[in-house]
Amino acid sequence: TQICAVFRDAQKTTATHRKLVVNLRKIHETCCYEPTRPNKASNDFDEADFNNEFTRCVLRVMPVKKSEGAGEKIIRFAGLFLRHANDKDNDLLGENDVDASTMPETPSTRLTTQVMEAVLPLLTSKDKFVRFRSTQLISHIINSLDAIDDELFQKLRHGLLKRIRDKEAMVRSQAVLGLGRLAGNQVEGMVNSEDSDDDVETGLLERLLEVLQNDPSADVRRSLLVNLPILPNTLPYLLERARDQDPATRRAVYSRLLPALGDFRHLSLSMREKLLRWGLRDRDENVRKAAGRLFRERWIEDCAGDGQPEDGEAPAEPAAPSIEGMLELLERIDIVNSGVENGVALEAMKGFWEGRPDYRDAMEFNDHYWETLSAESVFIARSFNDFCRTKGNGKYEALLEEKLPEVTKLAFFLERYLNVLIEAIRRVNSQENVGDDEEEDTVEQEFIVEQLLHIVLTLDYSDEVGRRKMFALLRQALSIPELPDEVTKLTIDVLRDICAPDTAGEKEFCSVVLEAVADVHDTIADDDSAQSDGEDSFHSARSEASGDSTPTKNGKNGKNSNLSEEEAREKAVKEIMINMKCLHIVQCMLSNVQGTLQQNDHLVAMLNNLVVPAVRSHEAPVRERGLVCLGLCSLLDRPLAEENLTLFMHFFSKGHAALQITALQILTDILNVHGAQLLSANPTLLKVYVRALRSGSRNPEVQGAATLAVSKLLLGRVVTDQETASELLKTLIVAYFDPSTAGNQSVRQALNYFLPVFCFSRTENQDLMTSVALDALHALYNVREGIDDDDMDVGDEMASLNTIGACLVDWTDPRKCYTPGIPMDADKKNVNGDVHLDFAADILEKLNSNFTKEEKKVIAPLLGKLYVSPTSSEEKIRNLYEEVSSAVEENILSDATSRNALYKIHVSLGKIVNQLGEQDKMSTS
Amino acid sequence: PETAARQRKEKEPFEIDFASPLDFKMAETIFTPATSNATISLAKKDWKSKTRNLLPDDKHFNSQQLLSLFLKPKARMSSRRARFGSKIGAFGNA
Repeated sequence: TQICAVFRDAQKTTATHRKLVVNLRKIHETCCYEPTRPNKASNDFDEADFNNEFTRCVLRVMPVKKSEGAGEKIIRFAGLFLRHANDKDNDLLGENDVDASTMPETPSTRLTTQVMEAVLPLLTSKDKFVRFRSTQLISHIINSLDAIDDELFQKLRHGLLKRIRDKEAMVRSQAVLGLGRLAGNQVEGMVNSEDSDDDVETGLLERLLEVLQNDPSADVRRSLLVNLPILPNTLPYLLERARDQDPATRRAVYSRLLPALGDFRHLSLSMREKLLRWGLRDRDENVRKAAGRLFRERWIEDCAGDGQPEDGEAPAEPAAPSIEGMLELLERIDIVNSGVENGVALEAMKGFWEGRPDYRDAMEFNDHYWETLSAESVFIARSFNDFCRTKGNGKYEALLEEKLPEVTKLAFFLERYLNVLIEAIRRVNSQENVGDDEEEDTVEQEFIVEQLLHIVLTLDYSDEVGRRKMFALLRQALSIPELPDEVTKLTIDVLRDICAPDTAGEKEFCSVVLEAVADVHDTIADDDSAQSDGEDSFHSARSEASGDSTPTKNGKNGKNSNLSEEEAREKAVKEIMINMKCLHIVQCMLSNVQGTLQQNDHLVAMLNNLVVPAVRSHEAPVRERGLVCLGLCSLLDRPLAEENLTLFMHFFSKGHAALQITALQILTDILNVHGAQLLSANPTLLKVYVRALRSGSRNPEVQGAATLAVSKLLLGRVVTDQETASELLKTLIVAYFDPSTAGNQSVRQALNYFLPVFCFSRTENQDLMTSVALDALHALYNVREGIDDDDMDVGDEMASLNTIGACLVDWTDPRKCYTPGIPMDADKKNVNGDVHLDFAADILEKLNSNFTKEEKKVIAPLLGKLYVSPTSSEEKIRNLYEEVSSAVEENILSDATSRNALYKIHVSLGKIVNQLGEQDKMSTS
Repeated sequence: PETAARQRKEKEPFEIDFASPLDFKMAETIFTPATSNATISLAKKDWKSKTRNLLPDDKHFNSQQLLSLFLKPKARMSSRRARFGSKIGAFGNA
């Protein structure tokens, strides 16, 4: 019939659907309405026939596989037709019934009902494709039609609800598509209907949100993400998907959900920051790209545009570059907090400048700009400067040349804001009650100075006038005790940069910084002389022994008895503060010093007068900062490091967690700089590391720091002693799989990065891995045996031993290892495979040992996974072949899987040995 | 010729035959209901996900972190290395 023909054509392409719908509707009308022009064909073909035929055709789609496009085309066609027919019927009814509460019955509603009733039972079909197509059809039709008969609607809804727990993800995906729309309608409906206390209705949304969080299939979650209504109560669930395990779902948050959301300013401040951070730092590049685009194309538009397109539609043309808009955008992401080091704003702006050449060109940094800096505007300048200097291989440098003032001028601006900052700090310090506004203002001033220093850090100091000006300014600033820590650090970084990079420059740098330290230290004395007169001689004596003035010694001094107790306490606190400040300056300086300690008198004096007394101080904060400085000094002087190794170890064993971490870091840096002889000379040091690696349950942070520390030692080939390296590597492998570290992401992620990098970077590392692999596996076997099945589900907590074995085989695969001179992607068929032959030999040894049957079952199958290369050393091939052959003969394995693995390697080796034999014959003949 | 034939076979488009009557096998596929709800439903243990299918916080480890000092992150590791640098370089070039 004609209907049949229409369906036949509709499955081929959607392009003709419009036309076909109109055709089919003509037939439909002929069947259903009073024949306007009596036609012989329509007489014997009435509405019932039409409906039956339509339903019959629709049913034919049901068994069609998901992969066939024709199925979806027909379903879309059916939806399109029903919608068209309904519209036409309603037009024919006229306007009068529009606001009636009950739906009028029309030929189209009758057809819809018949089709739906026919398809409904198929929702629980045994065949998964029938369930898929029926769910797809129902969902599609629900989404196509404006209204559906209430009774039918309830049935459909009920049917779909069951399918959100279907075994097949594709079915759940479709069910969720239909219900998402319903959930939206219901919430809308509830607002303006009286009988809103319908539990079932709210239940739907809740159930869908539960699916959004829990469904194992990412497709289902993603399809919900883009189809659920965006409402105050769904939004948190939707945004949470920005951290979904599936990259495509995360990307959908940035490329679909958030653009559809409309103005980003409706989100909370912390949510904006989180979304930006998660997106721009995602592990998947496509997510990062989508987040970057969102920021520089949508969020800026919300601020720079005229705010008209509220409904989530992108404006046709991006608004012209607007500095105002940019300032607002930065304010809306709380730049004072997100713009600090490691904050996300720097990344966001890097992408912004990259993707918005219009803004790049429009920027103008004139004097007025610099004179009226705010946190936002200074960040624009700073990020622009960073971008131009680091991106595009210098092609943007000219832009800076053109737009940025010269060094001298910037120095003047910096001076101005430094003064403002110091004044603000002093004002706050001198007041009892500080208003929030003033506090906030200080924070902003501090931020401005920091950002200026970041710019200053990148400048070219070949201009002598500018260099001198900047140098003098920073030297002077460093003497101010109130200078905040971060500003101090940056100031010192710049000073190092301004001094020449050679040894002489370093000396100049140290002497200048240490002068400033002396100035800061002298403020203790200054204050004293201001407070109590007549004790000049005492004070000058003390300030000369600079650094030796720990508060406890002061307390012993009887001359202070005329001070009241409170004054004395205040003074002690002040001294601690000044001491801390001096140590901080020194610490920042030392992290910029490369040369040796002994060659620099300034440094030796500083060590003796400031650092050593601090380490002996009774005040914990002073002592701990002194420790870091001593550590930094030790990096510059090997004897000093050796002398103090025990001290650092002492801090590790006796300190609190943070101090333990500091001690570990110092020890590790020392080993890195001075070599592992220090480790072999101090057996207890190895114990420190092993203990720290196993400190998981008590101190997860320490375990994390230790993991990173040991990774550095191994990767940097600081530890080369076989026995030590084995011990450490084995401990790391066990820690990686041990269920006790499951919650410690620092450990897991560090090792997830380190272990493959370590193994694949050198053949020696793979050899080391092979030598400990089976020991580690044995340890993990015991760990797994030790888990009480009743307490927890082993499978949930720990990778299976098969998986662990597969990892070990993979890490030691010779084909994956970097070989100098051969590109990583080269075909590695003929690589030397000794490392896996060694692995096999170790396995055989264990199989011949007194291991339990169960454990042999774990390791034997690994034999089948090893790579047997014909280009391995002949001796190893022959030896292993002999061992394998005797293992086969003696039939040492009991289960089929193990035996098969053994046979497999036996065959692979056999082939190679035969070839070797033939070569021998050839050469002897 | 052999590959051409295979290609043609692959390209043959799938088409639903609406005109022919429903054969028994297809009718059976369409109309056989599942024996029980359980056989077509998701196992109950998969209803809930412990992690809510979310990633843990990323720690962002990179090679930079592994190859720098803790206390002097800007300094390349290390002076010891630099001293032997020339030797290693020569070895690498050989």
